[in-house]
Amino acid sequence: MSLARPARCLFCSFSRAASAAPRVPRRQFHASPLQLNDNKPKVPEMPVPVPDAKAVEAKTSEVQTSEVKTLRQIYEEMKPEDFKPYTEEEKAVLKEHYSPEQIAAIEAGEAAIDPKDLAEQFHFRRNPMQIKYLDDFSVIEPVVDHHVRGAKSNSDYNAKLKSEEDFVEDFAEYFDKMPEDADAAHWVRFLETTRMTLGKEESELDPHSALVPDIFEHGESLERIGQPPPKRIMVRNRMGELEEQKPEEIPEVDERLYKLTGYSRQYISSLYIKTLVSRRVSNQTRLGKIPSVSILAISGNRDGMLGMGIGKSQEATDAIQQAKARAIMNMTHVPRYEGRTIFGDVEGKVGATELKIMQRPPGFGLRCQHLIFEMCRAAGIHDIAARISRARNPMNTAKAAYEALMSQRNPEDIARARGKKIVDVRGVYYSGRSLPRAADK
Amino acid sequence: MSLVNLAHVCSHLNNATKARLGITSIPNTKLHLKLCLALQNDGLISSVVRGGLTAPPTHPLLGTPMPNDEVEKVEPVTQSNVASRRLWLGLKYWQSESVMGKLSLVSKPTRRVTIDVQGLRRVVRGERSETVEGLRNPGELLYLSTDRGVLEARECVEKKLGGLILCRVR
Repeated sequence: MSLARPARCLFCSFSRAASAAPRVPRRQFHASPLQLNDNKPKVPEMPVPVPDAKAVEAKTSEVQTSEVKTLRQIYEEMKPEDFKPYTEEEKAVLKEHYSPEQIAAIEAGEAAIDPKDLAEQFHFRRNPMQIKYLDDFSVIEPVVDHHVRGAKSNSDYNAKLKSEEDFVEDFAEYFDKMPEDADAAHWVRFLETTRMTLGKEESELDPHSALVPDIFEHGESLERIGQPPPKRIMVRNRMGELEEQKPEEIPEVDERLYKLTGYSRQYISSLYIKTLVSRRVSNQTRLGKIPSVSILAISGNRDGMLGMGIGKSQEATDAIQQAKARAIMNMTHVPRYEGRTIFGDVEGKVGATELKIMQRPPGFGLRCQHLIFEMCRAAGIHDIAARISRARNPMNTAKAAYEALMSQRNPEDIARARGKKIVDVRGVYYSGRSLPRAADK
Repeated sequence: MSLVNLAHVCSHLNNATKARLGITSIPNTKLHLKLCLALQNDGLISSVVRGGLTAPPTHPLLGTPMPNDEVEKVEPVTQSNVASRRLWLGLKYWQSESVMGKLSLVSKPTRRVTIDVQGLRRVVRGERSETVEGLRNPGELLYLSTDRGVLEARECVEKKLGGLILCRVR
């Protein structure tokens, strides 16, 4: 690289357009940094050249003649006639720079504003928020603006550094085309614009680099360089504050459960799961008693599915997890009459616990012991009575109730077995229409 | 009319269905025959044949006793062989479960239970009438001995008949 070239941002070599004129190095007589642009606000009373046409949106002939006027003079002499529609020549010039859609938008904007309003309301900003300089926003300033990484397509992997012969050719061309009155600026321009490599021009001027300007921009990762950051979803937390939604980590145990059961995560989260019985048990070994926890859990979808599972572990949380997972895996269908009660009276017996669950009319409720209540709730049964005779051991009660609920006989099966037709008289009473299900109410 | 024998029949049928037998025999009495025909009418057993001490010919496919086999005809009942007659029943199963559930005697040999139409109406509706529990399970049956033979409880209500309650089938 030529030493005559002034020092610039190492990564961002794309902003050559920022300086229209070649930057001729001048000798500095002081240590303060060289100020290329005069960023100080112009004193309004001083005669200034009329600001850029883009900034004012003034395209008056008067302005274009560019007589030296003060801002106040411009401000006071503003007339509606100053704001004329574009002439055909101006439109032709615009067409070179803008696409037809953009021109249409410009014209629509022009038409939307009355020239009278423009003349009346035009003024230079004097408020503290005014922009203190006139700047060209179409150019990326390496220091001020946010860095932009070159596109991947800018890279040219076959680019080669120029050999000495190539440079000799360049020089020969330069001297060949050199005008008679060549000055230092001409030489500097040549040095600045001479390319160092052969190949794509963008590859030298604005190459794609993962290092620009940091290794990653905000929201970027190694997989998605140069892509926009993923959308941030804001949710309210328990305290009512807005915070970013973090992707939930699914534990491995849950992941396995989804695979085993085939149920979706959403479905499992909608289930009614409850631990009914927990007790401490111990295994007597020659080393002593090893205590553990035994948990009985049930799960149901409140609409005819019920499962029961038992988990045992030395850790209570582990036992609960096991029991719940087994309850979900064991879920089966419980027959329900009209979606609210059971078919007939059923009995269950486990150990010394014997119980009877009886069907009841609509609106009766769940008049039974709490364990059976929870099971009926999980299964979506609403009208039931139950009676436990003999022992009332909680674990056996739950098991016996499960057994009883599962031992219901389906009337359709009975009809098929006997070769008879069985009619639900309750359903026939309302001219054969089925009753609205309790779940639908 | 011996309810002791009927109790034996009920237990025997329960045992036979638990053992998943396809065919069994019970003593031949008029009461048993009427009850068996009532059971057959309700589809709980497949066939009833009055045969001898050995099993009558069975259906080649179903394996149930046949009353009208063309080759081997059922021996007609005579005065000489009536004492050795037995009722051969073909038992039914559906999805490896017995079609006929548990038979249990309601009237006992020492305490006969009779019921009138009003009481029977309550029983059929699933309510309790005196000592008789209602028919609350799907497919539950109650057989009565009435003036017009052995009938199911619902038939009795239809015909406005009361009678002696024999047994209940769950």
